Amino acid sequence: MRRWLLLQLGRAGLAAWATASLVFILSRLLAVGTEDAMLSSGNDLQVRTASTSAVARQALRQRLGLDEPVFYVTRISRNSASWRWHGTHNQYHHWLAGLLHGQLGWSYRDGQPIGPKLRTALVYTLPLAGLAAVAATLVALALGLVLAGGPLAASLTSGRAALHLVLSSLQGIPVFMLALGLLFLFANPDALDLLPAYSLADNPDGLLLGAYLLQLIMPVLTLVLAVLPELALPLAAALRHELRADYVTTARAKGVPAASLLRRHALPNALPPLLTSFASLLPSLLAGTVVVESVFSLPGVGRLLAEAAAAHDYPVVVAGVLVTAGVRLLGLALADALYALADPRIRLAL
Amino acid sequence: MSRLLRRPHLKALPLLAVGWLVAVSTAGLLAPWLPLPFAAGVPDLLHVAEPPSWAAAPQHWLGTDLFGRDVLTELLFGARQVVLLSLPATVLAALIGALAGGSAGFWGNRGCRLPLAAGLVLLAAIWWLIALPGGGQVACLLLAAAALAWWAAPRLLWVGRSAWPLPLDSLFQAAVTLLGAVPRLVLVLALAAGPPLSTGQLLLLLVAVAWPEPARQVRAQMLQVRTLPFVEAARAAGLTTGRIWFRHALPHACRPLRATVPLSLAGLIGLETTLAFLGVGRPPDVSSWGQLLSMLRQEPGAWWLLVSAGGALLFTLLALQQLARSNR
Amino acid sequence: MKYVWICLLLAIGSSACSQLDKHQKHKIVRIRWVRDPENLSPLVQPNQNAVDALNLLHCSLLQLDVATGTHVPALADSLPSVHLVGDSLTELSYQLRRAATWDNGRPVLATDVAFTLKLYQCPGLPNERARAQLSFIRAIKLDTAAPRRFTLVCRGQAPDFRLETGDFPVLPETTLDAKHTLRRYSLAQLANLPGLPSRDTALSALVSRYQHADPSHHPERLPGCGAYRLRAWEIDRFLTFVRKPHWWADTLRPTPFVLQARPRQLTYLIIPDETSAALALRRHELDVLPQLTARAFKHLREDDSTKQELSFYSLASYELLMAGFNTRQPILRDSLTRQALARLFDPAKLLQATQLGQGLRTASLVHPGNRRYYNDSLALPIYDPRQTVSLLKQAGWQRQATGWVPAKSKHTPQPLKIRMRYRADDAVFATVGLQFKSAATALGIPVELLPTEASSLTTALQEGDFDIYVRKLSSTPFAFDFTMLLHSRAIPKSNFTKFSTRTTDRLIDAIAATGAPAQKRKLLRRFQTIIQQQTPLVPLFFLPYRLATARELQHLYPSGYKPGYYAAAATWNIAGSIPAAAQ
Repeated sequence: MRRWLLLQLGRAGLAAWATASLVFILSRLLAVGTEDAMLSSGNDLQVRTASTSAVARQALRQRLGLDEPVFYVTRISRNSASWRWHGTHNQYHHWLAGLLHGQLGWSYRDGQPIGPKLRTALVYTLPLAGLAAVAATLVALALGLVLAGGPLAASLTSGRAALHLVLSSLQGIPVFMLALGLLFLFANPDALDLLPAYSLADNPDGLLLGAYLLQLIMPVLTLVLAVLPELALPLAAALRHELRADYVTTARAKGVPAASLLRRHALPNALPPLLTSFASLLPSLLAGTVVVESVFSLPGVGRLLAEAAAAHDYPVVVAGVLVTAGVRLLGLALADALYALADPRIRLAL
Repeated sequence: MSRLLRRPHLKALPLLAVGWLVAVSTAGLLAPWLPLPFAAGVPDLLHVAEPPSWAAAPQHWLGTDLFGRDVLTELLFGARQVVLLSLPATVLAALIGALAGGSAGFWGNRGCRLPLAAGLVLLAAIWWLIALPGGGQVACLLLAAAALAWWAAPRLLWVGRSAWPLPLDSLFQAAVTLLGAVPRLVLVLALAAGPPLSTGQLLLLLVAVAWPEPARQVRAQMLQVRTLPFVEAARAAGLTTGRIWFRHALPHACRPLRATVPLSLAGLIGLETTLAFLGVGRPPDVSSWGQLLSMLRQEPGAWWLLVSAGGALLFTLLALQQLARSNR
Repeated sequence: MKYVWICLLLAIGSSACSQLDKHQKHKIVRIRWVRDPENLSPLVQPNQNAVDALNLLHCSLLQLDVATGTHVPALADSLPSVHLVGDSLTELSYQLRRAATWDNGRPVLATDVAFTLKLYQCPGLPNERARAQLSFIRAIKLDTAAPRRFTLVCRGQAPDFRLETGDFPVLPETTLDAKHTLRRYSLAQLANLPGLPSRDTALSALVSRYQHADPSHHPERLPGCGAYRLRAWEIDRFLTFVRKPHWWADTLRPTPFVLQARPRQLTYLIIPDETSAALALRRHELDVLPQLTARAFKHLREDDSTKQELSFYSLASYELLMAGFNTRQPILRDSLTRQALARLFDPAKLLQATQLGQGLRTASLVHPGNRRYYNDSLALPIYDPRQTVSLLKQAGWQRQATGWVPAKSKHTPQPLKIRMRYRADDAVFATVGLQFKSAATALGIPVELLPTEASSLTTALQEGDFDIYVRKLSSTPFAFDFTMLLHSRAIPKSNFTKFSTRTTDRLIDAIAATGAPAQKRKLLRRFQTIIQQQTPLVPLFFLPYRLATARELQHLYPSGYKPGYYAAAATWNIAGSIPAAAQ
């Protein structure tokens, strides 16, 4: 079991490295005009801007390290069949070496190291994603129990059918629709004017916890609504499947009350599918934050990634992909650990 | 759920779903030939972002969008985009997934063996294609060796027996893990950070992102199917492995696809809509539902966009889910 | 347990509410920015926000007075005296103000200006843009008798030099170069060195000191003599500038316009989404919302609940929306074809659709409000597809089943089809593109719309990979230098149309060199007529500039000059006795 877990982690780690390398190489090969982006004013083409000379551009390329070859080997020309070995003086090697030392590189936009940027962004994303994950799990458990009904309940009363329909339709709605809907429902002076749209964080006493939490309500709600169906529906299906098993009939015959039956007998057996979806929960949350942070103006990892993709800031994009893959690794490890906790058979086999 | 469906008024639900999907597909395919009051992509600049007007002279039945284009026309041409982009992507992804998952599940890591001659030909092709040093000469040498091996196979025992096992399952797992390392949205965003994509490139990207899901299903089913007695019987009857795989095992293994392909289509439509919302991939003159919805950010009071495009999107996704449910 | 939750909610709610009235009493002004300035080093200035921030932190010799629209002396005592040397050099003599001092009390001297100019040319620093902009200053001559007097020697003899040379932030010498190592080098020496890191130990020591100080993200390490200092900067969230309690310009009487600094604290909030920003303005979480789009402006004005609490300004700006043709393309070489295609744009309806009717249509690159120089005999461009057809026929095109082809051509006829490029993230460009495409498709001319990312757009335009492009052109009302736009020298760097004739080249040079208004008027009128005849570009309209602020905030001086408001002069008028400025 432990070997299998290590194998899974190793495979996922390899996949993370391969994806990041792929994105890195593609982005460097297609990197057109990054120097132009840094040299031009960025807003519009000003008439009065002096023309940028080739020397200035060359100086900028050297500073960014863009004049080195991309990979260890490159093809010399399209027609002839010859490759050239560059040794370790290539961008990929520098990136990889930096990665092993814990450096993620420098952003093209402002030349700042990406590590601190990501760390600052994570400070805003981690509470958001963490709260959303915990809240979604709890609500999914509750809804799953409700949807499953009891051992003797009709398979789907109209109330439960309506809930099922609502959850299924939530699964289909893209995240941005949920985000926009909540924004205009709760923060609109036209509708319910309850929550702040944007709160000023500049306070001499430091960030007010109250204001910060208020600001987080809508994004967390959006994320919870977005991931809830994929957690609750498989759990409800698994619970209903368990309720048809023989041991449930035995427990019912023994006189165990319905609620306790669900929670203490059926639920632990129905957990593995939930844990499977839990493994993909964290990456889905991260994908959701890309949209949610853009709509609610939160400076987190998702918004960093979206803006970097729009601005062709390739180092940040590659770092974002690495972070996402790392989060997936974390999710996998967590799911496997929880498998061991939930299922004594696996635990005993360890 | 089946007991619920026995109620008479809800028996119509799968019919409604299929009806809606057929309506959307025909509307999408026939859109260029329908007698619409306004042409696609033509902005009515004097009526930009206006609510539906049924009484006044330029009758925009569903209003206009932020560029002044008629929403009804955009909706129908957006359906065309769905039919022409997401549907082929799903079908292709299902095909590729079925083939990949089916072969990985059937042969595993040791089942498929390449005879020496075929292996040498493959090596020669790869060498020539990626232009390794030596180029043409080494490729010719390898081809000559392959011809020799093919001639010697029935004569020399050790040549005939040596075969290289293709690790299909490992390749499959590696590819699936690679594509599953990051969520689809993040991967597509990262690849969209390069130059803009054409329709064909976007289609390829969607297929590349969508094929692991059906592939995994088919592989899991094939692992069960290959142990069934009829496969052994077919082998005993003397059919070649390839024929067994293609004509007998694969159709059985593709059964779960009937339920998952609609969900896969729903997922791709959602992904494509989110991309259009974030402004990635398509020029503005291509109508799509996601683009209509993205205009809600700049014009939050445009309820007609939400009702029409949001409603169409919602009903399509719900109909696909209903289809998946009734196919299970 | 329930009561604990209720009390917690109440506490949270009340703490959020109490923020609202503090800002008025403490003279804080909160302004919205769309993006982060990213880099606050005076050498880099990557975007307009960074320029605004640097204007708060530093002083220049001359600064733009938005009330009058001219450059006025800030650090300098008066406008420089001009002396022409030969036929290629200009000498400008400046005198610094006696009262100007740095934060540590030391006076601002000519040596600081010399150090600044040399720093802008020093190799190894990220000063590529500064180098390019100030490359025309060849030397600086200090006056040993008067430490506050100096002379700049500039290459060229444009009359704009008097106003243009003073617009750079002056930096203190003692912070980075206490040992005066740069004094050994002359400005020309440094300018001639390539921009790569030099092997000279003194220069590389300076570069390493600069990099160690990192003024891009810690501007307080390279302090300026401006009125504000940066108190807090959270990237992509906000920046806070606080007024220095004792600033040297406070002693000046009367206070020059460009040297006032009324708000005690300026906070710039970075809100990328305009809808959130509008919501924040309505909830009094924001005071100034500049650069509104037409629709957002309209919504704010029509909303009954908040329009009493806000002031709205809509002015003409000097930003022109124009389309340009690639005159080197074989299909567009003929000016008749260009004129024909220019008639497919519909500026009147586009103005209505994108700007809700505000803005100013124009027939040339000069602003119509400039009555002296605008050629009012020119006809405004209008939408006329019938004239398009007749002009195309005149130019030798023939309409066939497959499209328009040249009637007589030696080899395979190239059909008329257009590729239109514009910046991807602006809805105005997309509307123009769609309108042109629908008009052209009705006549059988296929158009391909190519929204391009800002970074690759410049490269694509320079390489000529387009037929028509649409862009916004920032012009100034006081200088008419079309060299970058239409001179043959600027091909292909900034003259994307690649249009040049000898007549227009001579006219452009003459206009830039003339100072006499009557002569300039004549030349400009002739230039505008030629441009309309040749149609290398189609000017559509000048965009309006819209601003919404809290009603009690006065003296923002909204204008057409970027950024469109003057933050340093803003004052709160709590009593409300002074009505808001005119719409």
